[in-house]
Amino acid sequence: MQALPAKSQTQPFSFLEKIWRNYTLRTVIQSIFTVWAVITFIFFLVRLMPGNPIEIYVNYLINSENLTYEQAYNRAASQFQFDPSASWLEQYFGYIGQLLRGNLGESITSTGTKVIDQIMRFLPWTVFCVGLALLLSFVLGMLFGMIAAYYRNSWIDNLISIIAAILGAVPDYIWGLMIIIICGVQLKWFNVGDLRGTFDPSLQPGFTFAFIFSVIQHALLPILTYVMGTVGFWILAMRGSTTSTLGEDYVNIARARGLSQGRIITAYVGRNASLPLFTLLAINIGFVIGGSIIVEELFVYKGLGSFLFWSITQRDYTTMQGILLMITIAVVFSNMLADLLYSRLDPRVRISGDS
Amino acid sequence: MEDNLVLSVQDVSIIYQVARGNVKATNNVSFDLYKGEALALIGESGSGKTTVSLSFIKMLPSAAKVTTGKALYTREGKTVNIFELNEERMRAFRWQDCAMVFQGAQNAFNPVLKIKEQFFDTAKAHGWRKRKEVYDRALELLKLVRLDPERVLESYPHELSGGMKQRTLLALGVLLDPQVVILDEPTTALDILTQRAIIDVLKEMQGRLGFSIIFISHDLALAAEMASQVATMYAGEMVELGTVDEIFYESLHPYTLGLLQSVPRLERGQDELTSIKGNPPDLIDPPSGCKFHPRCDFAEAKCAEKKPEFATYEKEHKVACWFPEKVIEARQGLWEKAS
Repeated sequence: MQALPAKSQTQPFSFLEKIWRNYTLRTVIQSIFTVWAVITFIFFLVRLMPGNPIEIYVNYLINSENLTYEQAYNRAASQFQFDPSASWLEQYFGYIGQLLRGNLGESITSTGTKVIDQIMRFLPWTVFCVGLALLLSFVLGMLFGMIAAYYRNSWIDNLISIIAAILGAVPDYIWGLMIIIICGVQLKWFNVGDLRGTFDPSLQPGFTFAFIFSVIQHALLPILTYVMGTVGFWILAMRGSTTSTLGEDYVNIARARGLSQGRIITAYVGRNASLPLFTLLAINIGFVIGGSIIVEELFVYKGLGSFLFWSITQRDYTTMQGILLMITIAVVFSNMLADLLYSRLDPRVRISGDS
Repeated sequence: MEDNLVLSVQDVSIIYQVARGNVKATNNVSFDLYKGEALALIGESGSGKTTVSLSFIKMLPSAAKVTTGKALYTREGKTVNIFELNEERMRAFRWQDCAMVFQGAQNAFNPVLKIKEQFFDTAKAHGWRKRKEVYDRALELLKLVRLDPERVLESYPHELSGGMKQRTLLALGVLLDPQVVILDEPTTALDILTQRAIIDVLKEMQGRLGFSIIFISHDLALAAEMASQVATMYAGEMVELGTVDEIFYESLHPYTLGLLQSVPRLERGQDELTSIKGNPPDLIDPPSGCKFHPRCDFAEAKCAEKKPEFATYEKEHKVACWFPEKVIEARQGLWEKAS
């Protein structure tokens, strides 16, 4: 009889423990907490930057239209739905309240424009351009990394490794600058001005050959730049991973079993060597959303990256918060994806009870 | 007897080319392997046992080179020199004619494929594409190695224990009905009971399937149990070859005797154990004459000057020593209680 109350006391405790032990649920809770922590951090960080949207606009008006400070301020304040005198905490709770209702708010500087609409306008271009570049970089890296590992210590390996190290050591925006200056300005292979933007503005968007060609044409240089900046990393990672896989007993024994070279390269070496790289790829997908800000700026490619850069210069708090929130969610989500993907690819880390 | 000759190894020498010079890993090794026979290669680490075996399936590291000799393999009346097979014929030869079960099966299987896929892979590589047939054969073989066949085939390698993996590898080894199975220390890294089980399984399989075995070991007791013929190797050379009884009871080479004296036995006291003095020689610059002479208790001036022939002493019993009589004298008393 005495044991009963004790038992009922442990019940809620063990219930909580069960929730915590549930892998998926725990991951989701952790992710939500991470997102909240990051948006809170961002919220205060953007407000800690010197200047606010009104001041920036006031300065602009004073310089461009020769207004007095007073006049400029009144005009700015009437145009923007932003009250700089409201306390941060007030703003914060207002923002969180809106977020919980699924509302990212309106842009401060472009009055009447919803942040979500702006993001949806720029996001597809970045996903297309940087996403394609990431995949291209990954595939090329895997290929050349494997070739280098197969011919390790030969001239092929040395050549690939040296090129990969150089590509990896120089940041992508330097490659971008070099492409513009050497190929565009000096050699005049293309007209830098024509390739600005995401497509030729004289064309009507649609499924026409000319439009699609223009889209690819405009994305080509940013993609090339991004690939050059990242492929070195993938090559070296794949080379290392393949080299250690080649030393594994099961690869040797597969050879002794008389398996064809093709089967060994794909199912025995390739599959095992690429395991850690798929995790890295999944994590990198998260950073695609953020785009490559400097590369987009450099080629005046109107993606989310360059839009974020613009909103920072304008101190458009709500837009910045919106974009950074998207990036945060993408990174957290892709990390979850990496976990999930890895457990699919490698039977050894499959969660017990899963199979 | 000649009809049953499966593998005839003649005068095989292998070197490793390293920065310091050539490591003479195997020198003029010759032996014959008959159908259903088990030959044990015994000797210290580095005596060339594995090197010579790897050469039969052309799996030597790239720094190694076969400098002399032939390995004649016969199947259904046709004889080929293994060393002359081209890459594609070698690929077919591996596993189908000569399977090698490596030491330490812990990592022998691809971790991301189910065991059954690895059986299918092996069969498919040799043109056997009927999955149902392969599956049935795998079931039968896994039953032979006393595993729960369905469960093992549906498992991933990490779901099996070390002993189970080793037994699965044995089953996989005979999937294509090879004539020669090379077992490179198949029981090292396993506990004594699992060792026992594997040896029993091996003997049963050999009785049933009739393949020949090359058994590489430094465990003399296991070699005595598995093999019909035993060859002692020292510093890349075969120094004694004979039947199990000849090697264990009538050893003629001081090195074989040394090995036997260094094994503890139940009926003897600990104090009677003796180790072979000295260290294995440098194979880049080996000692003159008989390579064992610096470590030999019976060595005389002649041993350092001239290398003894690997010659027949009596019947099939061969030895490379100038003074086998001294060994005969010294071995008296070694087995008196045992036999």
